[in-house]
Amino acid sequence: MDTRPYMQDRAAEEFFSRLAEGKFQSTRCAACGAAHYPPRVVCPECLGEDLEWFDLPREGTLLAFTWQEAAMRCRKPDVLGLVELEGIGNVFTRIDAAYEDLRIGQRVIFDAWTSPDGLVLHQFRPLEGG
Amino acid sequence: MKEVYIAGVAMADVGRHVLDPHELGARVCAEALRDAGLFPREVEGIATTPHGYMADFRRFPSQRMAEYLGIAAGFMMDVDSGGNSSSAAVQAACDRIRLGRIRSCLVFAAQKEIPKKEVQKDVVGHFHLIKAANSLYDSYQAAYGVISPLPFYAMAVQRYMHKYGVTPEDVARVAVLLREHALRHPQAAYREPLTVEEVLSSPLVSPPIHRLESSEMHDGAAAVVLVSEELVKDRSRAVRVAAVAEAHDPTNFVPYRGEIDEFPCVERAADAALAESGYRVEDVDVAEVYGAFAGLELIMYERLGFFPRGEAPTAVREGRTTHGGEVLLNPSGGRLSLGHPAYVTPLLEITEVVRQLRGEAGERQRPGAAVGLVHTEQGFINGSIVMVLDRVA
Repeated sequence: MDTRPYMQDRAAEEFFSRLAEGKFQSTRCAACGAAHYPPRVVCPECLGEDLEWFDLPREGTLLAFTWQEAAMRCRKPDVLGLVELEGIGNVFTRIDAAYEDLRIGQRVIFDAWTSPDGLVLHQFRPLEGG
Repeated sequence: MKEVYIAGVAMADVGRHVLDPHELGARVCAEALRDAGLFPREVEGIATTPHGYMADFRRFPSQRMAEYLGIAAGFMMDVDSGGNSSSAAVQAACDRIRLGRIRSCLVFAAQKEIPKKEVQKDVVGHFHLIKAANSLYDSYQAAYGVISPLPFYAMAVQRYMHKYGVTPEDVARVAVLLREHALRHPQAAYREPLTVEEVLSSPLVSPPIHRLESSEMHDGAAAVVLVSEELVKDRSRAVRVAAVAEAHDPTNFVPYRGEIDEFPCVERAADAALAESGYRVEDVDVAEVYGAFAGLELIMYERLGFFPRGEAPTAVREGRTTHGGEVLLNPSGGRLSLGHPAYVTPLLEITEVVRQLRGEAGERQRPGAAVGLVHTEQGFINGSIVMVLDRVA
């Protein structure tokens, strides 16, 4: 059984291969400067196709968190959450903490996570004193 | 533009069915046509949805039904847009009738899911369906193994509770109230009384959502017959489609910008439908709302305009959404207790509101109900359709 997630476009392939190298990046339009998350192959602002990769902020704010019971990976007790990256948008991600230890509005920081089936994904963990 | 009327409705019991969805569909279609006093040869349009989510895809179900019932259609459509599918089909049929292209349309949905137990017994054999469920989400959501929108709904409810100081009891109370409504519905999937304690002691499936605050994917079938004025056989039982409106947000499940519990499309669709109908939200006597989870039910009541932000929990607690209250919301028992065959749900909602407006809702009847509203959504409430219905006679 092939459990790997499908890649909807080359931007997704690139995003996850950059993650595997420790880079947390997305695309920006070279023509109009619009920053995108998730990455695109076409700029939704000006329809330009000349896009460049830039570093996403590594710190964000925890908007919400939960776990899923049934899933192909990241099942309970793994925690999933939505992290707001200021000026960019919301990232759906794994959270590296116990559900009980989290609170809305907490500051969190990027980390890479290798799933049991060998995928490198992003996760966030609470910042000390955050 | 011509007026559109709902002349016939029918639904099968919600729960588990052994019949093939085609036969289940044929039976509700026949019942809805008898209800409308129309023969298949008088039907000029037919539209339907797929037969399920965790089900093998069978194409052209409307063509199959047209042959089976002998319908020479001037409009045919198979719609798949998730929870909005059958209401999108109704809306398309309304537009065709308004334009005078057809004078009648049969819209049906018949859903039969592969039972969860069978999937769990043979995961390898059903893996193509699990992969298909996962690929509903974009790569950035699918990578975390998501096969259901439940975690997104959980985060929306968590955020809503956080922002407005809503308690777990407030949320559980909605599930209990919907169950009370379903006790009056002979075709509902759940007909045993429920308490707040039972809801809160059921397992957390995705916190803060408990199992008894979430809807199950059921089997079911329903059909609706839409006609223009010349085909209304019995004016005393006809219900008019006063308005239909649709609105979508530029999101696919998780919103990558903005708040996760806002769902602006609901407000936009409701405002547009009410404006077109000429009614105000205060005029609505009865409504069926697409709330797949107890917490979402509260959010939807507010976004539809029935209550200001954060005030739905108080309204529910004070009995303002039930029999004898200011507006009767989800008299059918809603998605939680009537049961939730998602492709069929919009037609179940329409069926309930039509029965209420006709005065045929039995023990569930709101006396004198004259104006009704139906709300449906797709995805993670990324899009909404709102219909306003009223009594003719």
